[in-house]
Amino acid sequence: MSRRALDPVTLSVLASALGGIAEEMGSVLIRSAYSSNIKERRDCSTALFDARGRMVVQAEHIPVHLGAMPEAVAAVMSRDPRPGDVFAINDPYSGGTHLPDITLVSPISHGESVIGYGVTRAHHSDVGGNRPGSMPSDSREIYQEGLIIPPVRLVEGWEPVSDVLDLILANVRTPAIRRGDLRAQIAANRLAQERTAELIDRRGLETVLAAFDEVIAYAERRTRECIRQLADGVYSAESEIEGDGTNPDDILIRVTVTISADTVLMDFQGTAGAAAGNVNCPLSVTRSACYFALKVLLPADVPANAGSQAPITVLAPEGCLVNARRPSAVVAGNVETSQRLADTVLLALGQAADVPAQGQGTMNVVVIGGSEWTYVETLGGGQGASRLGPGPSGVHVGMSNTLNTPIEALELEYPIRVERYELAYGSGGAGKHRGGDGIVRALRVLEPATLSLLTDRRRHAPAGAHGGEDGRPGRNLLGDETLPAKVSRALEPGDLVTVNTPGGGGWGRVEGSA
Amino acid sequence: MREVEAKVSTTAPAETAPATTMGPVQTRIGVDVGGTFTDLVALVDGQLSTTKVPSTADDQSIGMLDALRASGVDLGSGVSLAHGMTVATNALLERRGARAALVTTEGFRDLLEICRQDRPSMYDLTEDRPPPLVPRELRFSVRERMGPDGVVEALDEESLASVVSALQEADVEAVAVCLLFSFLHPEHERRVGEALRRALPQVHVSLSSEVLAEFREFERCSTVAADAYLAPRLSSYLLGLAQLLAEAGIPAPFVMQSSGGVTEIEGAVARPAACILSGPAGGVIGAAYTAKESGYDNLLTFDMGGTSTDVAPVVGGRVQITTESIVAGIPIKFPMVDVHTVSAGGGSIAWVDEGGALRVGPRSAGANPGPASYGRGGSEPTVTDADLLLGYLSGDAVLGGEVVLRAELAEQALASLASKLQMTALELAHGIVEVADAEMVRALRVISVERGLHPREFVLVAYGGAGPLHACSLAEELRMETVLVPRACGVLSALGLTVSDLRRDYVRPFFAALPLAAPARAEAAFAEMEACAGRELQEPALERLADVRYRGQSFELTVPADDLHALADEFHLVHERRYGFRMEGEGIELVNVRLVATLGVRRPRLHEPAPAVQLPERHRSANFAGDWVDVDVLDRERLGVGSRVVGPAIVEFREATCLVRSGWGGSVDESGSLVLRRQ
Repeated sequence: MSRRALDPVTLSVLASALGGIAEEMGSVLIRSAYSSNIKERRDCSTALFDARGRMVVQAEHIPVHLGAMPEAVAAVMSRDPRPGDVFAINDPYSGGTHLPDITLVSPISHGESVIGYGVTRAHHSDVGGNRPGSMPSDSREIYQEGLIIPPVRLVEGWEPVSDVLDLILANVRTPAIRRGDLRAQIAANRLAQERTAELIDRRGLETVLAAFDEVIAYAERRTRECIRQLADGVYSAESEIEGDGTNPDDILIRVTVTISADTVLMDFQGTAGAAAGNVNCPLSVTRSACYFALKVLLPADVPANAGSQAPITVLAPEGCLVNARRPSAVVAGNVETSQRLADTVLLALGQAADVPAQGQGTMNVVVIGGSEWTYVETLGGGQGASRLGPGPSGVHVGMSNTLNTPIEALELEYPIRVERYELAYGSGGAGKHRGGDGIVRALRVLEPATLSLLTDRRRHAPAGAHGGEDGRPGRNLLGDETLPAKVSRALEPGDLVTVNTPGGGGWGRVEGSA
Repeated sequence: MREVEAKVSTTAPAETAPATTMGPVQTRIGVDVGGTFTDLVALVDGQLSTTKVPSTADDQSIGMLDALRASGVDLGSGVSLAHGMTVATNALLERRGARAALVTTEGFRDLLEICRQDRPSMYDLTEDRPPPLVPRELRFSVRERMGPDGVVEALDEESLASVVSALQEADVEAVAVCLLFSFLHPEHERRVGEALRRALPQVHVSLSSEVLAEFREFERCSTVAADAYLAPRLSSYLLGLAQLLAEAGIPAPFVMQSSGGVTEIEGAVARPAACILSGPAGGVIGAAYTAKESGYDNLLTFDMGGTSTDVAPVVGGRVQITTESIVAGIPIKFPMVDVHTVSAGGGSIAWVDEGGALRVGPRSAGANPGPASYGRGGSEPTVTDADLLLGYLSGDAVLGGEVVLRAELAEQALASLASKLQMTALELAHGIVEVADAEMVRALRVISVERGLHPREFVLVAYGGAGPLHACSLAEELRMETVLVPRACGVLSALGLTVSDLRRDYVRPFFAALPLAAPARAEAAFAEMEACAGRELQEPALERLADVRYRGQSFELTVPADDLHALADEFHLVHERRYGFRMEGEGIELVNVRLVATLGVRRPRLHEPAPAVQLPERHRSANFAGDWVDVDVLDRERLGVGSRVVGPAIVEFREATCLVRSGWGGSVDESGSLVLRRQ
């Protein structure tokens, strides 16, 4: 083994210390956030970047944030950030993902010089726009989805810039909660500065900077080593999104994955053009899905950073579904398209590596709102089975991993009664190992309300693998009427909405069958 | 505070038994069963004696009896015995509980399997949650529905009858019942329980409204399922133990609960899921007790054993309690001592990963084969092997009465890994200690800085076989000024058992906005719980608590509720302390009322005798940062009150070794703890 800038002990100790800083930032953010979306659902992430804008460590609590931060840091770096500044950004077209995700970027300084950046990203439960919750199923332009924040100084000299804060708060439905959540993010950004300074005190600047480089190089070595195990070749896969909310027709996703030595190229040439609805993805979301798919193949302890992402190149034609341009609407791209992108890339990688059968491939976003309330839920489903065993039932798969709302909490809060919440036995695909079962959730509204569903995999089933059968597609019902995958409807008191989520694909041929 | 006495009826159920009272106690004995050893501590007139015997995994009561006999303590009258065991934990971990069924509301049979919909690993798509305690074929449902305001659909007797007959066929040992909204409206659940108990008299029945009347159906269901799953095993163990002891003329023991308080045997049998984590709770109680004797009440406890390390904060002398524990993947909503566990300890194996970084754990050599230096066939280097090569541990140290460490085997194992890294065995040994310490620092930060506590204001209490070896360097890294090593640092869980209060926890749901429109209703709820407590314990000390949240928050904080009018202020204060801010304008909701009833143990003062007159001069060569230094080696058994220690030095305790690093020094105080400070 060749000599490196840091010995194996210092590398290990500093990797742990830097990881500890990102985790402590995450824990401060979660601890001091106000909204349950951050506090309980943990829809947030934190990270440290080096002075060149490379991610060193990340504490991500939800996979969809995996690859989405570097663009935000790059956008801020071009605006001459100074020590004590914190920039806010959510614009998908200059470094963001979708508008509810607000990212704060702050320089980490040593003396006068900037040696890195602290970054926090959190999903804010309302950023304005045409619907409460800022997750409309019917947006056609980004402007309908909420307030757009280009990279702006939210904090200067560690003091909030009140003009900017006031502008943001004037454009959201729940300003007190937004203020609380932003304050929590700022506290976590500030912690990046403090903890890095303490680490420099103990270990010296040179060692800490060497650790930035070496932690990145370490992740890159390990990632390249894993890619080298995969057979070189060109692997293609196709899949589809079932409509964009304006039109139920399938929208094509095509990826060509080229594995060559220790690099992976993922090219979305051939994917559909921009959608009229809101299922478009900025490239940062597409990258997150690609990084997720590769991370599934890596050992769990390889850190996610610029090094593990360096061997991966993601290409997509400008302005297409997965490399959106202003003013395309994008809010569902982060939720539903990102799921299918991960599925499609894994389908291609499955020709070179052992991957599980497909999971439900949707987050099943259910939004029911009345005059003064909004209830938002995402539903789990079946995970795909694998060589090792059956697929888990009733879980979130892919790019999401948030908790449900307890029925007893829901009914105490909203005029809704849950009539059924159980597994659909047998909805997972048959196989040597069965796919996980989907969920049936039936909700009766007790007051007039509106319904929004952002779902997928209602026509096309999650695929089985190695001879395993497909999972059963999901189904949305209003009473006895089948609803499309993405839909908005008015509800009368007594209406029953039933969502059947998809089952996961099976793995391997059933014993005894041909 | 009143004294707890050991004589308790083991036949009558708790409800009708005479309230537990106290009598004179001269001798307190705690017996804690661990994975490898069963530890006993006897406190007689403030003086400690300890005994260690091998655990007997198949029947832990045999090891307990062995320890009692080996201790030589007079077990006649005036003895109070407390027991910590792992029967319930092991049954959960190894899935060796009862064949149990579950009855839910129709439409909700899979609550246990869906959990909260999140998956355990974000990127390992093959990893599932641990299998539910009740498999699909043993989940039944009855047609009925309660809502927030009461009956939505009446209980359908026909569907109940068919569930009862299906259960008669199913050959189960226990049944858990968890119906929606039973925490507010238990009538249907009670009716189901009645029918089951009548039709299946041999089967244990747990009702969620009796076990844990709290909202959030999954966690309540998970807790009541664990309760049913554990009940048959735990009651047969405890009743067998009581009989075994009775035959030997020894009084029935109290049993440690996860809450850090003990209960009588029938209390444990009635609430098995409350006794799951008794070992770590005992350790934290023991640490809080000994530190208090030394005058400290803000502590970070650090218990480093062979395979894992437990850390916990103690604030203002109070052990912190959580109701959010997950044991063996199963959420248990009972109050538990808030302990954070990491899987790294003396037996953790060092290795080099594919990226060229030195790693320690999570794989452990365990007790068998154990570290390479045990000479039982282990060939991979562990933290213990590193400590031995560096001279921190003695080459002729005898661990737990049987293992002798062999330095040449440690060196072999270290050298073999070191050659791959182009370093010397000695450099590697330092590296292993450094990497292991980094993991420990991270664990200690989780329970301090991440909760708004500043380590600088806390004392590090080190125990467990390896805790005192690593304490000084951790304290330095965390900028802590004081390290405390209790005399009983190798058996602190057992010591904690001897000074644990008899404790009962009660909780009732109570949904109301603050300020309360009808405080009399809350008063009545507390009074009802206090009446229960009064029937079970004689004149207990009572602590009123309340679970409170800002409206719409999805979690609660437990705050003191002695003054109902001050509840909102109290909540703002606790919220600010814990989360750093308050929301003055927001509505506040009272969710549950709680009562903790305790019969306090009179905690004896610990007395450290004077040191031996003649301290033999012993030295050992130990390595610090590459240099071999001749250090004093002191035998803790020959030290006494006032004995001074100046680092670098090594103090050998009966069951542990303390490394006093250069720059540290201190003395043995009157209660027998070695108090070390940065010089």
